[in-house]
Amino acid sequence: MLEMFAAGFQAAFTLHSVLMIVLGVFIGIIFGCIPGLTTTMAVALCIPLTFGMPPTVAMSLLMGLYVGGTSGGLISAILINIPGTPASVATCWDGHPLAARGEAGKALGVGVFYSFLGTLFSIAALVFIAPPLADFALQFWPSEYFALALFSLTMVGTLAGKQLAKGIAVGLLGMALAFVGTAPIDAIPRFTFGFHELDGGFDILPALIGLFAVAEILNVAEKDVELKKSEVLMSFKMKGLGFSMKEFVGQTWNMIRSALIGIGIGILPGIGAGTSNIVSYGVAKSQSKHPEKFGTGIIDGVVASETASCSTIGGAIVPLLTLGIPGDTVTAMILGGLMIHGLQPGPLLFIQNGPVVYGIFIALLIANFVMLAMEFFGIRIFARLLSVPKYILLPIIFALCAVGAFGLNNRVFDVWVVLFFGVLGYVLQKLKFPTSPIILGIILGPMAETNFRRGLQMTNGDFLQFFTRPITDVFLLATVLMIVLTGLSHIRDKKKEVAAGA
Amino acid sequence: MKGFSKKLVALALGAIALTGLGAQAYPDKAIQVVVPAGAGGDTDVNCRIVGKYLEKELGQPIVVVNVNGGGGTLGSRKVKDSAPDGYTALFYHPSMFLNQMMGLVDYGFSDFENAGIAVMDNTNIFVVSASSPYKNLQDLIKAAKANPGKIKFATETGGFTHLQILAFQAETGVQFNIVDVGAAAQKIVALLGRQVDAIGISYGIIKDYVTSNKFRVIGVESDARNPLIPEVATFKEQGVNISFPKFFYYLFPKGTPQAVINKFDAALAKVAADPALKAELNKFMVDPVYIAPAEAIKYMNAQQATYFNYKDLILNAKTTKEEVKK
Repeated sequence: MLEMFAAGFQAAFTLHSVLMIVLGVFIGIIFGCIPGLTTTMAVALCIPLTFGMPPTVAMSLLMGLYVGGTSGGLISAILINIPGTPASVATCWDGHPLAARGEAGKALGVGVFYSFLGTLFSIAALVFIAPPLADFALQFWPSEYFALALFSLTMVGTLAGKQLAKGIAVGLLGMALAFVGTAPIDAIPRFTFGFHELDGGFDILPALIGLFAVAEILNVAEKDVELKKSEVLMSFKMKGLGFSMKEFVGQTWNMIRSALIGIGIGILPGIGAGTSNIVSYGVAKSQSKHPEKFGTGIIDGVVASETASCSTIGGAIVPLLTLGIPGDTVTAMILGGLMIHGLQPGPLLFIQNGPVVYGIFIALLIANFVMLAMEFFGIRIFARLLSVPKYILLPIIFALCAVGAFGLNNRVFDVWVVLFFGVLGYVLQKLKFPTSPIILGIILGPMAETNFRRGLQMTNGDFLQFFTRPITDVFLLATVLMIVLTGLSHIRDKKKEVAAGA
Repeated sequence: MKGFSKKLVALALGAIALTGLGAQAYPDKAIQVVVPAGAGGDTDVNCRIVGKYLEKELGQPIVVVNVNGGGGTLGSRKVKDSAPDGYTALFYHPSMFLNQMMGLVDYGFSDFENAGIAVMDNTNIFVVSASSPYKNLQDLIKAAKANPGKIKFATETGGFTHLQILAFQAETGVQFNIVDVGAAAQKIVALLGRQVDAIGISYGIIKDYVTSNKFRVIGVESDARNPLIPEVATFKEQGVNISFPKFFYYLFPKGTPQAVINKFDAALAKVAADPALKAELNKFMVDPVYIAPAEAIKYMNAQQATYFNYKDLILNAKTTKEEVKK
């Protein structure tokens, strides 16, 4: 293994490669921090540029994009409360309140540093235990995916906080919206009302852009009518990374747990950073001694979200390289990039192209350090970029959101979807509904449904056979526990309220 | 999304060149070819490779536009509703018959102008795990006869491989437990994790698993052995009389001028004979062919008729699943 590393190091630590990594991280951060533009798009745009490059150099560029893009979303999440990519949705929830208190420097410092740690963790997992991790992913049959989706749906209870009923309603609304379109398995169009544009359903990306970017833009438009220069948050004093050693030590368990969630979700094909950051945030909140402080601007939330979303990177690369199966949309693009260079990911890649594989590991590692340096030293610059008056900045972002939605599938329909979800998100906020559970419903509803039905096909319709699989049982048990605990804590709170009222 | 930048360019070009066009001048701007599937799949790859050569021949950019979703229906409908000016084409394969058969769309290939078949894929295979006891199709058939409805065969319901396994059942009189696991990558996972006993897939994407002795190929559904995989016996050789070539063709919206189609078609005929194109496509285990529109219509009508033989089977498969759900 050591000599493989040496070979990989040799391949990836050339001037050409390192320059490409720097370029990749830079472009990635730009795409990541601009809402509407995603890491997937950055990779898609850059793949043609790699045609003429040697494989390791090409992979260096792509790894730079991946790391930069996944992490970059935190910047806009924290500074303007709009996630730059689906990977940093949950970063908004505590990152922005923290910034709004004038501690933008601290919020960014925490986000950047834990992005770095999350990526580092996942690279370590990738390098040292990729084969067993890939085997673990193969243990996931439809019943496991179903149970995992069910468990993750209990996060609705956590995210909704005190507004449990409203949270559940909104989560169900998300699931209902996800039902629209061609049904899984039997391919019957559902709830399309004869509109053929709806045959494909609502894509997750336009829905997300609408709910979080457009709704926020509408919100700000309502508040900041007086066109004053936006109060972004330049007043921060940065010392080091903005947080103390004591705070760092206090986050140790949160960080490890979030990294494990990120890696775990990363290795499972089909779900990626867009899911892991929300689930990790939910778990951190439910495990916390002070869940009521989440959402008010505590670093725990930023740590949970950023560690998990970035540790999804290494996780998603595990099945990509070992099985040839992409873990999320970005790795699906990278898979295409590998194949253009004659590298077929799968069981033979490590044997036939060892140096390239280890080159990819080293490139990831370098990209991670470049990302840390660039974001740390660039924080002030990024902040300035986003301190453009909001009446100029937000319309531009609005336009980019529309472009991003269109670029997804070349359909104007997706732009309308963005608007629809934007108005929906705005109305829900006005009615004091939490919007985060919708996303869980949209992502996890179809995952639960599809895998439930697939699981039943496997067992010829016998649900009881699901319980013969240990991993399924663990998740189902955890689901029941979560529901009971959430219910109990709500009853307790209500009693307290009643007692206090009396 | 791979051609995002190209698409923007194409849009810009399209906006500039919206004025009247004579067929003599065709093409005087970029031609959009809609792939009704995601980037990186076989339809996409084939379309991009052929497009690269067509570009040289026609002297204008060929812009691949991925319109994924609705099982391919969003893309085909987009082309059907496009202006019949020769600047929007569809690149698709026999799943279009299935879309129509299952009632997802109310139109078929004959509602378009046919511009010929360009690529032929004769690598549709049945695969089992290398440690499986089934060495060939007859082993699989025997096992399925002994345990009706027990052997798990993975497919994507309503997809190309679903029709194959239904036809296989009808031809051999056996009954599998047909399970949906999703697209090609998920089928590999399902077989590796021993969730299922056999899968239907194309050879190109699993060849490394064959080389590394994890998977075993037990038959290919082509009329004759494929020279790219000569060691694999055909279904017909093994006594199962089915063959499902996967062919890729170009369609233009109804009403596209004949002169335009002729020009496009002539270019297609030329590039299909280019040995460089053959070499490049062979890397992905497919072959360039050229079947002119008139012949292509005949061929596709015959294929469609074969598919529609199994219409009741595929529709029944759907209802039984709903009963299971209840």
